[in-house]
Amino acid sequence: MFTNNFLPNLNTLEQTQNQLQGQASSGLNMTLPEDNPLTMGKVLNLQSEVDANTQYQQNITQLTSSATDVSNILSSLQPLIAQASTIAVGAGNLATQGNLPNAASDVGSLVKQILALANSKDAKGNYIFGGTQNDQPPFVATTDADNNITGVTYQGNTSVLSSEIAPNLSMSAQIPGGNTTGTGPQGLLLDSRSGTDVFSHLIALQQNLSSGNLSAITSTDIPAISADDDHVISQMSGNGVVQSALESASNSTTLQGTALSGQISTATSADLAQTLTKLSQTQTAYQAAMQSGVLIMQLSILQYIH
Amino acid sequence: MIGLFGSLNMSARSLSAQQQATEVIGNNLANVNNPAYAREQLVLQASVPLETPQGEEGTGVDAVSIQEFRNAFLDGQISNQTSVTGSLTSQQSALQEAETYLDEQVQNSSAANTPAGSENGIAHALDALFNGFQTVAEPGSGLPERQTLVSTAQGLASKFNQVSTELGSVRDSLNQSIQADVASSNQDLKDIAQLNLEIATATATGGTANSLVDARQAKLEDLASKTNITTSTEANGAVDVSIGGVTMVSGFANSDQMEAYDAGGGQFLVRAQSAGTNLALTGGSIAGSISARDGELTDLQNSLNTLASNLITQVNAIYTQGFGPGGVTGGSFFTGTDASDISVSSDLAADPTIFQGSGSATAAGDNSTVAALGALGHQNITGLQNQTFSGSYATTVTSLGNAIANVTDQLGNSQSVAQMLGNQRSSISGVNTDEEMTNLISYQKAYQASAQLISTINQMLETVLTMKTV
Repeated sequence: MFTNNFLPNLNTLEQTQNQLQGQASSGLNMTLPEDNPLTMGKVLNLQSEVDANTQYQQNITQLTSSATDVSNILSSLQPLIAQASTIAVGAGNLATQGNLPNAASDVGSLVKQILALANSKDAKGNYIFGGTQNDQPPFVATTDADNNITGVTYQGNTSVLSSEIAPNLSMSAQIPGGNTTGTGPQGLLLDSRSGTDVFSHLIALQQNLSSGNLSAITSTDIPAISADDDHVISQMSGNGVVQSALESASNSTTLQGTALSGQISTATSADLAQTLTKLSQTQTAYQAAMQSGVLIMQLSILQYIH
Repeated sequence: MIGLFGSLNMSARSLSAQQQATEVIGNNLANVNNPAYAREQLVLQASVPLETPQGEEGTGVDAVSIQEFRNAFLDGQISNQTSVTGSLTSQQSALQEAETYLDEQVQNSSAANTPAGSENGIAHALDALFNGFQTVAEPGSGLPERQTLVSTAQGLASKFNQVSTELGSVRDSLNQSIQADVASSNQDLKDIAQLNLEIATATATGGTANSLVDARQAKLEDLASKTNITTSTEANGAVDVSIGGVTMVSGFANSDQMEAYDAGGGQFLVRAQSAGTNLALTGGSIAGSISARDGELTDLQNSLNTLASNLITQVNAIYTQGFGPGGVTGGSFFTGTDASDISVSSDLAADPTIFQGSGSATAAGDNSTVAALGALGHQNITGLQNQTFSGSYATTVTSLGNAIANVTDQLGNSQSVAQMLGNQRSSISGVNTDEEMTNLISYQKAYQASAQLISTINQMLETVLTMKTV
């Protein structure tokens, strides 16, 4: 009967000892679902959130990169419009100096530069301002015999790419080049709601400078180009807001990721002090059990019979 | 008076009795480590006394029988408990095997050395799929992202297929266990019937059959570890055995046998061979195997099939409306119907460029379809009891963990009870070497005393003979 109890007790102590040693070496208080089913369920859900969070962080990084591309282009593009506006405002003086043809030529050059910027591509070769129709140049120019741009049409669309930065929360860093539908995101260089039509207005300016039509410049071109400039500045501001929101989302996502990992750690980490104390107690009990067991098993009446 | 010769005879019988008692002790000591053995003792009885004018005079001792220390109630209890333990052990083993195949563990992540879920299980593969959709939805994604997505989806599908196959192999192995246990049980039943005959024969003439009873009890307990049994003892010492209400051993006859049969789809159940009735087994490893197979294991397989089936349906419902290069639409992302055959469409696997991630036939950069696929990851699905895919799977893993934890707890309790019953039986039937050695000394001393008596009587006889000579 002694061995009937002795062996199961030794086995139990040995199993406990192995379990505690495993916890001490891994730092985890559980490994398998059967160890703690409820916590395992929590860990799987939390891990799923951690994985999603990692993806959101990646999406935010990608959106930030896109927003930076847009910002860089807008930073180059807006001064060109401002320069055209300056030429328009100074048209009277230029006329006096007889420099209107040169000014017209300058504006023609500005139009070409703006067109080049408006047809910029990202690192993957996609057109940035074509909306989701990004596999072809969004703006197509028609030119006269002198290679002057006489008209520019928008062949992109008004949709933008958006990515999730949190569950059910999507953001876009894209601005379509044009939007004359009256709905959806505003177009950058062509927009019916704000009356923006950068290329038409600059081409008109160029033609009025060539023809010396100062009154048209004063009455029509200057207000229109000024409004275009304001619209682009407003888009730059919008881009800044997007970048700021993305930065904020990035910080928040990072914090959430840390918090989620912390929750997994809290749920599954072994309390080392407690584990080592229990391990020490179990080892002592195991040694005591073996020592006393051996002593008892050695005792026999046979030793006293001669 | 019995006289000197009577005394001599009495001493001789005493010597014989003490010697037989030491032989019984020797047998006890030899079987000290035999778990099926029950301690025996020589029953001594005073010989028929002689009436004398002075009163009744003893005539020595007779060895009457060799008695075995057995408690039928405890034997029955141990058999019942063996059935419970057998059933739980069988269930635990099967469920732990299934748990191994799911491969969901908490471990220290290789990247950050912080606790995290397993990177080899379905949970991680599901997350990776939806993250893959999200990556393709990002601005500027191209062929490499699509190739990675397809590869990730193939990994998830393979994991589903693999787990489904492995769970199938657990079922196959349980079915084989049932067949093997039934065959072994039938052999036990046959042996018990034979032992009944031998015991009855041996005891018919007033003898004992202790070693045969030990052997039969061992067979009964072996049978009980495989199936729950009901026993009753007949007047001739034979034990009748019933399983699931059907008499299998009646006296010396093995009246019926168990039969494992395929109830369809490889689901082996057990019935009485002659009676033809299904046996409702409630204990033993056979019942444990059936319970694990038709209970938790089936639930697990159904949950995985439901998960895979909903994944196929939901993903394809969105994907089929998307557009690939050249405005191609209508394809499927996944093929198959459940976890066993889910697979990425062969066309897409061969050429990831045809991925239909766009929501527009003409806008190459549109990502609305693939973005919707990515968002599926955190949407509650009606077919999954309004849980997300990951949430539903986590529930499945938790259920399995709970089932194993419950069985393990019950098994621990059952083993404790079995140990207590074993201790009780040991205290009655077990051989204690100290006790046997003490008894041995007693019998040895009695033998010496009887021998001394013979010597004394011999001297007395010599005295008498000397008197005659003189």
